[in-house]
Formats: sequence, structure tokens, C-alpha cells
Amino acid sequence: MFQGSLWIAFESSFFGILLPGDRKLTAPGFFSRGVYINTSQKGRWASRFFTLLGALVVRDVTSRYRRSSLGMWWAFLQPLILMLLFNMLRGFVNIPSDGIPYLLFSYSALVPWTFFTNSVAACGPSIITNADVIKKIALPREVFPLAAVAATLFDFAMSSILLAAMMVWFKVQIGWVLVWLPVLIVLMAATAFAVGILLAGLGTFRKDFIFATPFLTQAWLFVTPVIYPLSSVPEKWQSLYMLNPMVGVIEGFRNVLLKASAPPWEPMVSAVAVTTVLLAVSWPLFRKLSAYFADVL
Amino acid sequence: MFCEALVSKDISIRIQGLWKHYGLPVPAVVRKTLNLVRRRKKHEDEDDGGPWALRDINLEILKGETVGIVGRNGAGKSTLLKILAGVTAPTSGTVEIYGRIFPMIELNAGLHMELTGRENVRLLGAVMGLSRREIESKLPEIEDFTELGDWFDRPVRMYSSGMLGRLGFGVAVSVESDVVLIDETFAVGDLKFQNKSLARVKEMRESGATILLVSHSLETLQFVSRKGILMEQGSVIASGSALQAINAYETLVFRSEQKRLEHRVRNRISSEEVNIFSARVYGGDGQSLTEVSSGAPFGIEVDLRLNRRLEKPMFSIGILNAAGILCKWNISEEDGLSGSGDGDRYLLRAWYSENHLSNGAYEVHFAARDAASFETLERIAGIVSFAVIGSQRARGIVRGKCRWDLIPWEASSASAQDSPVPGDSISKDVDDR
Repeated sequence: MFQGSLWIAFESSFFGILLPGDRKLTAPGFFSRGVYINTSQKGRWASRFFTLLGALVVRDVTSRYRRSSLGMWWAFLQPLILMLLFNMLRGFVNIPSDGIPYLLFSYSALVPWTFFTNSVAACGPSIITNADVIKKIALPREVFPLAAVAATLFDFAMSSILLAAMMVWFKVQIGWVLVWLPVLIVLMAATAFAVGILLAGLGTFRKDFIFATPFLTQAWLFVTPVIYPLSSVPEKWQSLYMLNPMVGVIEGFRNVLLKASAPPWEPMVSAVAVTTVLLAVSWPLFRKLSAYFADVL
Repeated sequence: MFCEALVSKDISIRIQGLWKHYGLPVPAVVRKTLNLVRRRKKHEDEDDGGPWALRDINLEILKGETVGIVGRNGAGKSTLLKILAGVTAPTSGTVEIYGRIFPMIELNAGLHMELTGRENVRLLGAVMGLSRREIESKLPEIEDFTELGDWFDRPVRMYSSGMLGRLGFGVAVSVESDVVLIDETFAVGDLKFQNKSLARVKEMRESGATILLVSHSLETLQFVSRKGILMEQGSVIASGSALQAINAYETLVFRSEQKRLEHRVRNRISSEEVNIFSARVYGGDGQSLTEVSSGAPFGIEVDLRLNRRLEKPMFSIGILNAAGILCKWNISEEDGLSGSGDGDRYLLRAWYSENHLSNGAYEVHFAARDAASFETLERIAGIVSFAVIGSQRARGIVRGKCRWDLIPWEASSASAQDSPVPGDSISKDVDDR
């Protein structure tokens, strides 16, 4: 168009009299999609992606506690307070704990559970809080919920220190089964990410999903063996109960840390399967929706 | 590999039949059902992103070209840049970009207020697509460019807005890319920093980058870009050199401003002793005009009736530009109109043989007075409006050439010594230092 400095006479179409949009027939429908091709996005994307992810995690972690007096202690406090509350509850109601000291029993489940609720809660609004960036620069949008999950992993590591101290205090026997820990942590993070991006993607368009998140996680707590052991769930409900991927995660943590045994295979297989299905649904959906984030933010 | 190199040699951006409609593309059937359920009327649907933001854009931009995009607010300039940047998806059509693209769209996106300048540079660099090694190697250069000094290690919440802008721009200019999109970023910082930024953009241009620039500052556009396109209501309505596009844009703006002036509510004081029937602007051939060519003489004619005899009628005509600044005000008495008026109908003509008005939209204020009593008989603000249109780049309230001389220093100092003028010795002192 510019090659010959071509000058198109604009007089005739000045006040939109002859604008092409008025030819209704040429306007595309909602089903036909535009195509965007950029030849430069090849190679080194991985290095850029992880640099960006790292920078976002550093930002989230360093800025989160920068203006608070208790700072990092909040990472310990949240599961600690819940543990004490549950312990009080146990004073009124009889809750079995598979012969493990109840403090340890509940705290070992509360550490992964707090991670799960916090990362899901952080994922939901992660697109909206990063609207400035998303509206301006093309990025793989998954990086924001992923960074929210990764930043919560930092809190998880903090509260694990207290868990380790408690295990030493109660003289818990540990063994080779600890090699299962990385697998459990990846599964836990994947579950949180799968639920988180679903809420982030939908919540960007309808805030109802974000408002509903606390209720969702509260309800989820009751169908997860955090306060009570898996063994107290009636036999006939167990297979349905195990569709909850957090059952496998939490029972896995308890087995590996407190019982020095491998994670129970049935809840684990079900957790891996459900998480995979969840990811296979929520990630492509998020990708589809993410092309229009900039339009609604 | 060879093929790709061949393509990327000449074309940088190719857009074919691009349409954009904002919002999630919900199929019509789904939307109608949803509306039925929610019992909302069609126009209340918040998902409806309004009319087409872009309509059938076709563009080809060659490598190394600098293209300025002009257009009024809502013309689709920013939408076009967003689609090029890959921030939002095109609704239909193809957009092909050959090379690494980098949008410098409002540069402090992603700054975190609690982090220091240095931490934010790392974050911004990552957001803008730099790898860790690139960021670390460029940190000193960025620190130098932003001129923040000690502030570089303080939280950015303590920064002034100019400092924030400088931080963002400092990171942005250190990103090397083949296609650069710039949207209204030159407003940051003080004059010195603006010049520095402008120089950096020129540097990018010299190094062969393709630059697309959206700015409301026509001076910046003229300075930076060589080509220009004019957008209006989502379409490209003109393209050519930067100057041609800017002139077309100004004409568009002047015409719309003139329309606005026409529709303004008339402010009128009347004593019913003078009736005004009509007013018009006319050219040398007596024909009515709505646009006067720059520098061409024109006249203003008012059709009026005096309802009583006036010994000394006095008329005044003021010409105001679109900003409301009085550019010209003439009084009939001073310009030599004398004589009395009977109670009859007249055509009052004011002829401006020297038109010094610069390009723009103007409106005419008219008043009739009785010079004997100085009583205002009739005053109408905005009796008629017109636009002055021309091809000159010069700006200001007054049009006109000036004589320029580029005199060698030796000759000028010699002539200054020959004919000393007051103040000359002072300026010489300054120059000697």
C-alpha cells in the first residue's frame, strides 16, 4: 500500500458515508475467527516464560508481606490457628484420628489444605489484578494463575517447617517413603492450578465465580479428610468420595509423613485421573477465553 | 529457512480484511437464550461490545518503515495496535507479523508499588519478554537512562508520575525488536527526557526497525514517521506520506469542529431594534463558502433590518477559533464605515482582503450598536462559522511567512560590532563564556 506512496482520495468517504461496515453482507459472523500469525515467537520462549514466572513469583512473595508487621509469620499462623480450632472442636465431638496425636493429624492435613484454598483464592482474581499488563502486552496468560500457585508454594514451604518441627517433637518415624513427597506436591499444585485457572478464566468474565470461591472451598473442606480420617467415611460412599482429588493428596501426605507408608493407591489413582481430566478441560477453556481477556478488562 | 528470509526481507506487517468486535464471541443463539432467561432487552446486554471497532482493514507495511496513525478518539487506532501486539484476538481476517514485535503501549503497566525501582526493572523486563541474562546485562544501562539516581533503590510508590514513566520507558527502549508499536508514550517526563526518548526512537528507526506510532501530538508524528494513515470509525480512510495523513486529519477535525460550532446554542442579546435575517461567508466571486483556503480573501455578509433610524450605527465582527480565542475583532467605525441608517433592510458586508487566519475552525460573533448612546442593539455569538484549510505545516493563531537567514557566525559578529544595539554586549558576554 505504501510502495508508491499511493494516495487514496478520501473525500468521498469523509463522514462515514461510504464506510465499508455499512455493507452488512461483508461483516463476518461470530463463528468465523480471525487469524493472528507472528513469525517471531519461536525458540527461547521457555527461557522468557520462566523468567517471567520467576519475576512474578518474586513480586508476589516479596510484596505480600512487605507492609505487615508479622510478615512471614502469617504463613505459619493461618494453618496453626485452624489446627487449634479443630483441636477445640475435638474436645466437644469425638473424632477418630487413626491413633495419631490429633494435633499432628490435623496439622499434617492443614498444611496442604491451606495451600490448596489459598492458591485457588489467589488464582481466581489473578487475571483481574494483572489487568494492566494483560491489556498492554501479549503474554501466555497462564503465567498469572501459575505464578499465584507458585507464590503460595512458598507459604507452603514455610508452614512445612513447623510441621517438621512437630514431627520431631512427636518423634515420628520417617523412612524412604519420603521420596513420594515431590510427587504429592506436584499433584497438589496441579489440582490447585486446574481449579484455579477455571475460576480465573470464568471469573474474568463473570465475577460471580470469584465471589463463590470462598464458599466452594469451605464446602470442599467438608468432603476432604482434613478434620477426620478417610476411614470414618462409610464404605458405600468411598468410591464417590474419592472423586475429590484432594482426598488422594491429603491421605498421601498423612501416609508418607506420619505412617511411614506409601500413599493409598486407590485415592491416588483417582486423584491423578480426576486432576488430569480437570486440567484437560480447564486449560483449553482458559486458552480460548484468554484471547478475549483484554476486551473485557 | 531460505523462504522465510525471502518473505521477511520486504514485508513486516500484512493485514488482510481485519474486523474487530469487542467482547467474547458468543454465538447469537446462546445470547438470545441467555437474554430470554434474564429477561433483558437486547440493548441492555453488557456483553454486546457495541459496533465494530475495526472494519475491513487492509494494510501492508514494509520493513524499516515508520508509520504514524492519526484519527480522532474512538477511530480504532489503539484497537489496531492491540491486535498487532497480540493482546486481543481479531474477530475476522488475517494479521501476519514478520519479526519480533514489541508494544510500548503505556509503559508502566505491571509496576508494583511496593517494590523498588531496581526490582521493578527486573519485573518489567520479564513482562516485556527479556530473559534473565538480558535483564541483568541491561540493568546498568537502564539505570543510567532513567536518571533516577538514589531513587532507583527506593519503592516506586514514592515516585512522582514523571519518574514512573521514565522507569517504564527506560526498560522499554532497551528491548530490541523488529516491530515497535508506540501509543502515546512521549508525554512522560520533562522536556529533556522527552527529547531523549524521541532520539531513542529515531535510533531504533535508523537501526531498521519498523515503527508504528499513535500520538495526538502531530509534531511528534511529523518528526518521527515518514508514512501516515488516517483512521475514522474503524476504517483506514486515507494513507500516504505522514504530512498528507496529518493534513487530511486536520481537515477532518476542522470540519467536525465547524459542525460543532454550528450546532452550538446561540447566545443572543436583543433589543428588537435590529432584526438579523441571515449571515454567510463568501469568497471573491460572491459565492457562499464554508471553507476558506488559507490566505485567500473572504467576506462576511449580514442581512439585517434597522427598525428605527440610527444617526451613527456601529457594527463589530469578531472571529474566534475553535478554542474560543478571539483572533480578530473589527469595529465598523474604526474601519471607516460612516453614515446613518434609516429604518430599512440592509446587507452589511465586511471584506477581509488580507486573510492571516491559520488553518482551523472559526466562528463569527456579531454586534450592532448605536454609537451615539453606545447601547447594544443586537449581539449574536456564533452568527456563522467556517473553516480555513490549507496544506501548510505551520501552526499558531496567525498565518504568514517569515524571512529566514542562516548567517555564518563570523559575518554576524562583524556586523554586530559595526552596529551596536542595546543588549548586544550582554549576549556577547554570555557567548564568550
